[in-house]
Amino acid sequence: MIINHPLLGPRDAAEFVYLGDAALIDRPDWQAEDAAEAFHAYGYLRDNPAGVHRELWYHEQGDRSWLVVTRDTVSHEITAVELARDVARARGRGR
Amino acid sequence: MSQIHRIGGGLIDRATEITFTFNGKAMRGHPGDTLASALLANGQRLVGRSFKYHRPRGIFTAGSEEPNALVELRKGAAQEPNTRATVAELFDGLEARSQNHRGSLEFDLMAVTDLLSPFLSAGFYYKTFMWPRAFWEKLYEPAIRASAGLGRLTMEEDPDTYDKGYLHCDLLVIGAGPSGLMAARTAARAGARVIVADEDFVMGGRLNAETLEVNGRPGADWAAGVVAELAAMENVRLMPRSTVYGAYDHGTYGVLERCTDHLATSGGKPRQVLWRVYSRHAVLAAGATERPIAFGNNDRPGVMLAGAVRAYANRWGVAPGRRVAVFTNNDDGWRTAADLAAKGIEVPAVIDTRDAPAVCDVPGARHVRGASVMDTRGRKGLRQITLTDGQMIDVDCLAVSGGWNPNVHLTCHQRGRPAWRDDLAAFVPGRDLPPGMVVAGAANGAMTLALALREGFAAAEALGYADKSDLPRAEDEPRECAPVWHVPQSRARAWLDLQNDVTVKDVKQAHQEGFRAVEHLKRYTTLGMATDQGKTANIPALAIMADCTGRTIPETGTTIFRPPYTPVPIGALAGRARGRDFRPYRLTPSHRWAEAHGASFVEVGNWLRAQWFAREGEQGWRDSVDREVLMTRGSVGICDVTTLGKIDIQGRDAGEFLNRVYCNGFATLAVGKVRYGLMLREDGIAYDDGTTARLGENHYVMTTTTANAVTVFRRLEFARQCLWPDLDVHLISTTDGWAQFAVAGPNARKLLRKVVDTEHDLSNEAFPFMACAEVTVCGGMPARLFRISFSGELAYEVAVPARYGNAMMGVLMEAGAEFDAVPYGTEALGVMRIEKGHAAGNELNGQTTAHNLGMGRMVSQKKDCIGNVLSQRPEMLHEDAVKLVGFRPVDRATGLIAGSHFIRQGDAATMENDQGWMSSVAYSPSLGHSIGLGFLKRGDARMGEILRAVSPVHGREMEVEVVSAHFINPDGERLRG
Amino acid sequence: MAEYTLQAEPPLAGTEMEIAGVRLWAPNDLALVSLALPLGGEAAAEQAVRAAYGVALSGIGRSVVAGDGTRLIRLAPDLAFALFPHATPDAERVVAERLKGAVYTTDQTDVWVALALSGGNTRRALERICPIDLHPDVFGMDHAARTVMEHLGVLILRTGDDDYLLLSASSSANSFLHAIEVSLRNIA
Repeated sequence: MIINHPLLGPRDAAEFVYLGDAALIDRPDWQAEDAAEAFHAYGYLRDNPAGVHRELWYHEQGDRSWLVVTRDTVSHEITAVELARDVARARGRGR
Repeated sequence: MSQIHRIGGGLIDRATEITFTFNGKAMRGHPGDTLASALLANGQRLVGRSFKYHRPRGIFTAGSEEPNALVELRKGAAQEPNTRATVAELFDGLEARSQNHRGSLEFDLMAVTDLLSPFLSAGFYYKTFMWPRAFWEKLYEPAIRASAGLGRLTMEEDPDTYDKGYLHCDLLVIGAGPSGLMAARTAARAGARVIVADEDFVMGGRLNAETLEVNGRPGADWAAGVVAELAAMENVRLMPRSTVYGAYDHGTYGVLERCTDHLATSGGKPRQVLWRVYSRHAVLAAGATERPIAFGNNDRPGVMLAGAVRAYANRWGVAPGRRVAVFTNNDDGWRTAADLAAKGIEVPAVIDTRDAPAVCDVPGARHVRGASVMDTRGRKGLRQITLTDGQMIDVDCLAVSGGWNPNVHLTCHQRGRPAWRDDLAAFVPGRDLPPGMVVAGAANGAMTLALALREGFAAAEALGYADKSDLPRAEDEPRECAPVWHVPQSRARAWLDLQNDVTVKDVKQAHQEGFRAVEHLKRYTTLGMATDQGKTANIPALAIMADCTGRTIPETGTTIFRPPYTPVPIGALAGRARGRDFRPYRLTPSHRWAEAHGASFVEVGNWLRAQWFAREGEQGWRDSVDREVLMTRGSVGICDVTTLGKIDIQGRDAGEFLNRVYCNGFATLAVGKVRYGLMLREDGIAYDDGTTARLGENHYVMTTTTANAVTVFRRLEFARQCLWPDLDVHLISTTDGWAQFAVAGPNARKLLRKVVDTEHDLSNEAFPFMACAEVTVCGGMPARLFRISFSGELAYEVAVPARYGNAMMGVLMEAGAEFDAVPYGTEALGVMRIEKGHAAGNELNGQTTAHNLGMGRMVSQKKDCIGNVLSQRPEMLHEDAVKLVGFRPVDRATGLIAGSHFIRQGDAATMENDQGWMSSVAYSPSLGHSIGLGFLKRGDARMGEILRAVSPVHGREMEVEVVSAHFINPDGERLRG
Repeated sequence: MAEYTLQAEPPLAGTEMEIAGVRLWAPNDLALVSLALPLGGEAAAEQAVRAAYGVALSGIGRSVVAGDGTRLIRLAPDLAFALFPHATPDAERVVAERLKGAVYTTDQTDVWVALALSGGNTRRALERICPIDLHPDVFGMDHAARTVMEHLGVLILRTGDDDYLLLSASSSANSFLHAIEVSLRNIA
């Protein structure tokens, strides 16, 4: 597969390491009332769609950036590649 | 033997004669020949025995679809079995042998299996060899393997080398026939970066095998002209002898280039290169493959595909027979008859299944309308054919054409399904093509030359590569086809898959026995398996299956085409990754010193680390390791610990970041201090440990275990970018940058005092346990000094820039000479950490928590950190949870066994009674007996208890006593002294 | 005067050969220092670089050569490398002093090992191990990329028409040299 890195252009997927669902960005609040349940869901529960999937890839043999890749798990078509840092900020993560 | 079947014309170099051998017999040919064309030229019709029945077989095709003519090439370790003679390029000195017979090719002793054929039909193996079960391995399988099968492996190591590579282009053209060349020329003239790959060694495709004209010139000349034009263009790369074997995601194609297979020796160069081609677009112009018609005894040497027969005549100047009849269901078969007659070869008859007028005039040939061939005679070669009207005709070659199948394979590699076209009676590419691919020419069902040229041009244009040149002129030759798959009047066996010896009857029987899905049919009968993957057999077999079920062919469906299109040698897939080159290796900075001082090395990941340093007179590794431990604890020892991961962490928020990635607190770590840190996974399981030193206000250096250096860095980047993107933290690896040495033992300070520059105070007051500093050594060399201890002794780690590491090892040893300093390796390191009760990889094994490791109180609940929430799950903090403790054998002379499980005395050794397990053991030279670390339920509350340590794997058990994990100096006054 | 002195032994020191018309050698005394741009302090960091070197940091995947010969390579939004000739083991301090605390500096000199290639066949040899497109129109002068070759992380720089500088981890220097040498021999 080819991942079109938003800063570096197309690179072979062999340069990357796959992690999984981009929902891993949404780490729960450790002090919330339901923190235990929330972390359980965060750690163990994943959707496994046949179709469009937002997922985390790490450019280990490259610029060390984490990316959010929107990929169709059936056709492997990639429709968007974003810097995970930007996605994280857009989802309200900060310090 | 002379080339008795050589005729005029062709694309061979007649001025040069080369010799080769077949089964030891010397033969002659010309450059430009394939092994198959040269064998035919020499009158060798019989070239092999069939897979199952050992039937005599000859050359059936003129290309990579060949099912029959599989041979062994070359000799010795370079011998390669199962090579298709039809694609093996002839060279001077080539040695070829037929395969799959016992005794000579002419008198194969195994041919008796053919007489047993009534018992050997479809599914025979499955039915016959079911029982008794024990007979399978000992009797049936060896017997079957010995009698059936293809060529032999030499069992020697492949002497050739292979390589891989990466290519990039705008347009990959797959196949250099008329449409491929048109697409390539059009795109290349428009300035695109073009790669043209073709499996043949002469580009031009069918143009080289036909008498068709382009722009009024012979087609082969036109092709040569286009190839010359392309070859002169900088933006074009021509790749003959290169098969595009797979279409992968996002425009990536796999290509096997055969670099030296056409040469007598590879000359030390890679024999083949496996290319990964990255393309924006691809034009699939893979042409079409002719299919046979099944009739009685249609497998004899001399029965060939009609297109192949005229290819041998036109391209190679070879007459496959002296009297050649043509049996066809379509117009194209007539072209073979006409071309052969024009070459002066006798064509006694054209048998057309259609009751229709002659397609063209064939001098001397009788036109037999609406008839078929139903049987043949000739034990080792065709002598006579019998027609359905009873006529018998003496021939030595029969050219059969059942129509042509577009080569749709690569269009299906991403699960695209082909579509049926009734007018062609063939599958053509479906609508779901791999993204970026366009199909042109015969591969797309455009079966005439004029159409093929036009489609090639249009394909390039459709992809945006416009060129104003005129289309070359060519004819739309007649292509009508009336499908006939099988001659039902045949009484003898009618063969579908020549490679796997599958007959029409086998397919019918499979249907009767309920194997009606095509994928089941394939597996039950083996139809379409092995090197040719049924390129000539699949469609006729499908048609017969469809007939049995009363469905149409498209309703019956095809099996899924998967890569590779043609076989790819394992050597090419391995590339350079053999032996020492399987993966890179890493050397520590003091590797050369260690080599010169008797070190034995051990692989730790990619690293080679000194395991121990043997001295003269030592009888085995234990002697060396025991000595290294005792001398270190007795005075001072030195170990290269460079392999531990080192991560430079800087930023205003670096401290806060560390506080979140380690489970224990780092907010209070002062500049000039080091702290042990434990990292958890988010699920609360212990992940990695190490020390982190604070070198400056915003500057830390983290160490990780050797094994996890890469993955810890990855996780830290995840935390930095994805979890807390607004912390000012920056990470960079410095693992390779610093040569780091542990200097351990009571004399460590004295030794370092001689090396560290005098302005740095090393006294216990100025530089206590867990201190760190940037210092200089050896007169101004920048260095880092950490007072940390893995051994439990007074110990330091000292780091210098890696390029000085080899010298530093020498200096430390020289300075340590007066203390009898020893170098120690990973074994002594391991013994000392077990003696001290430090956890390592065996304890941080992905199943244990901080609580299990006795570090539960380290997990801060006052801050957010990775893993702290889930580490507090009740089940993880259960009072029965295992705890890390020490063990010693009750009988001190006994050696403990790692992996043993603990069972209470009196209990049976069952899973229900399991109390925990032994994770690490060592012989402690300090204590004089074996010691172990392990996890035991409520272990910390069971000191002094005697348990059984049971190892069912070894069939042994022993009594052990639960003790503190800190065997040596539990109060730690040594490391603080 | 200290009792002991340390001699530098760079992993590939002295490597020099010509294969397939390509010169392959290990340049001496190249220092490498990483520059991390503080979050929120990027403008100040870029200004400090300009003040110190007289050139602006380039875009990502590009490099720029300053008047003193330092090559500044931009690898990521917040990361650049300074590559310059310097023999003594104090490269980080030298750079840090010039940049006056506006960037976080880390010495990378001994983390990496460099090999230089020069000659018309260089690209053809690198095709065997380099997955990125080195076509001159695509990978232009002063371009830089991190990628993987034969399982090794490599930073590749184009320094001339047919001149490339490749950097990889120093601990696997032997495998790195072997990978490039074999690539040259395979096309010779």
